[in-house]
Amino acid sequence: MFLRMLRQSFAGNRKRKALAAVTVALSAALITTLFALSVDVGDKMASEMKAYGSNIRVTPRSENMPLIIGGRDFNPLRGRDFINEADLPKLKDIFWRHNIVGFAPRLTLPVVAESGGRALEAGLIGIYLDRNVPLPDDPGYRTGVRSINPFWHVSGAWPDDGAIDGVVDVLIGGGLAARLGAGVGTELSLADPQAPRSTSALVRVAGILTTGDVEDEALVAPLGFVQRLAGRPGKVQSVDVSALTVAENDLSRKASRGAEALTPEEYDVWYCTAYVSSIAHQIEEAIANVTARPIWQVAAGEGAVVGRIQTLLAVVSVAAIAAAAMAVAALTTTTIAERAAEIGLMKALGAAPWQISLLFVGEAVIVGLIGGIIGVAAGYLLAQGVGWSVFGAGVDVRLITVPVVLATSVVTVLAGSIVSSREIAALLPVEVLHGRR
Amino acid sequence: MSDTIPRPLPSASVASREKVISIDNLTKAFGSVRALDNVTFDVFAGEFVAIMGPSGSGKTTLLNILSLLDVPTGGSYRLDGIETARLAEAEQVVIRREKIGLVFQQFHLIPYLTAVENIMLAQYYHSMADRGEALEALDRIGLADRADHLPSQLSGGEQQRVCIARALINDPALILADEPTGNLDEGNEERVMGLFKALQASGRTIVLVTHNPDLGARTDYVIRLQHGRRIA
Repeated sequence: MFLRMLRQSFAGNRKRKALAAVTVALSAALITTLFALSVDVGDKMASEMKAYGSNIRVTPRSENMPLIIGGRDFNPLRGRDFINEADLPKLKDIFWRHNIVGFAPRLTLPVVAESGGRALEAGLIGIYLDRNVPLPDDPGYRTGVRSINPFWHVSGAWPDDGAIDGVVDVLIGGGLAARLGAGVGTELSLADPQAPRSTSALVRVAGILTTGDVEDEALVAPLGFVQRLAGRPGKVQSVDVSALTVAENDLSRKASRGAEALTPEEYDVWYCTAYVSSIAHQIEEAIANVTARPIWQVAAGEGAVVGRIQTLLAVVSVAAIAAAAMAVAALTTTTIAERAAEIGLMKALGAAPWQISLLFVGEAVIVGLIGGIIGVAAGYLLAQGVGWSVFGAGVDVRLITVPVVLATSVVTVLAGSIVSSREIAALLPVEVLHGRR
Repeated sequence: MSDTIPRPLPSASVASREKVISIDNLTKAFGSVRALDNVTFDVFAGEFVAIMGPSGSGKTTLLNILSLLDVPTGGSYRLDGIETARLAEAEQVVIRREKIGLVFQQFHLIPYLTAVENIMLAQYYHSMADRGEALEALDRIGLADRADHLPSQLSGGEQQRVCIARALINDPALILADEPTGNLDEGNEERVMGLFKALQASGRTIVLVTHNPDLGARTDYVIRLQHGRRIA
């Protein structure tokens, strides 16, 4: 009889139930969207923050104090330690390999650049621009500054990473170009500062580079060309790594004092969490004789922004749930007022308050489930809309969202129904069936 | 009206003189207003009694107390020998569903349940819903062919008969009816009164609240109220 009453109640009150389901659906859609965004915003924002560049720098262990002034490396290449370029694919073999967005090795050679009779000393930075680095599981993998430093702005064209013979195309920093009077298409002769009159190579300016950093006063060329010019084939001085990381917390700060400061349990948690420090640690494990240091200005900023946005979304989600509960409570209270005679009759026929409450709670649960299902579907579409408009990509609505939002919808309507249970208990049949006096 | 004769109570004893209702100095006050003022009367098993009086005389208040839907502020109400003032609310609910059948002027049928489902609702709260038994009850009041109609698809007289069938479905010993013909035309009024007479014949005790002197005249006796007092 209970199920029959539920069924008939829905069949006989389609409009009212549809209105309730729409109310719950709107709330559920909002909750779905916010929940999906709060779960996905970490990855989305972390990807977005990659526009601010790499967040880990790898250097040979013996070269922890680089001597770079005004973009010029005053450490002579002779007698220095280097990183083997052949070891770099190991970066994509660590525990958090999927979080390594890209990397760009560097080798800087001091040169004298001459154009139109004007000669200036500058650094010639060899770097991966957009280089194919075959990996065992991804032979077509490409990486370089074009992907990890999207803020590098080039007027003109990017040089081809593979074209390192003949007159090589290079980028020239905006500041250096102005001082040299060079522009796109200008040919420069490069010479060793120790022997400035002996031209060692000819290059052509393919584009003017603006980075806001040391590259503005330097020349940037494919790594292979600089290695050959320096007589250091297969060697690099440093590697900039861009990794997706999570916000720092007490554990990662404790780890920054050294992994040995952690208990074994803490070490496991830290190692298996994508902190910038744990990823740096894993890089040191993978490549021998290197030091991987987080670039804290970038890494800390990323974590803080993502953490705050997630907190904000969580607060808005809770507010949405509270608002939905209040809306449902108001709706059920109105329903009870409208169905007072029905409730009074049930009491007069000998129904216990819990039996009547059960009917209303049953109706609320069904409305919650129907509204929740509609809301999840609508919220999925809404989340995609928000994702595309804000991040330029769809939001990954995880499967866990469905049961979480359905459960939240049902719990919300149940919370709203608590008020109705009290109303039902307080309602006197005599007031609605006969009139009190 | 052979189709309106209810089945007799299993223990029907029309001749019995057991007191079903015993009211002694019953008072109900709402603040300084006394809706009922020292009312006393008894109703015996199998009697058909009318409570009459002008509007505001306390008829409905008295019926509410008899139905255990309201409590007096003074005096005593014994139902089948049980002092109702001592009963907890849950016990009153049990007595109401076991012993009392209620018939309302406004019928109070659940609008989204069919005629037979409205009757099954009383069974459900009493013990267990039985569609076959509910259909038999409808058949006895001549509405077997309207079993699956919603209240909105029934006439006023048909709705009132469904209301009466619902009141009877759990075999109550006492039927309390509040202006049961107040919203009916003459033909349906006659049909409902015939049903009540048949119920009395089958051993039920009936208390009827009405304005209509003709209906009152067809009962065993009339209790007249005025300003909350019994005047006859």
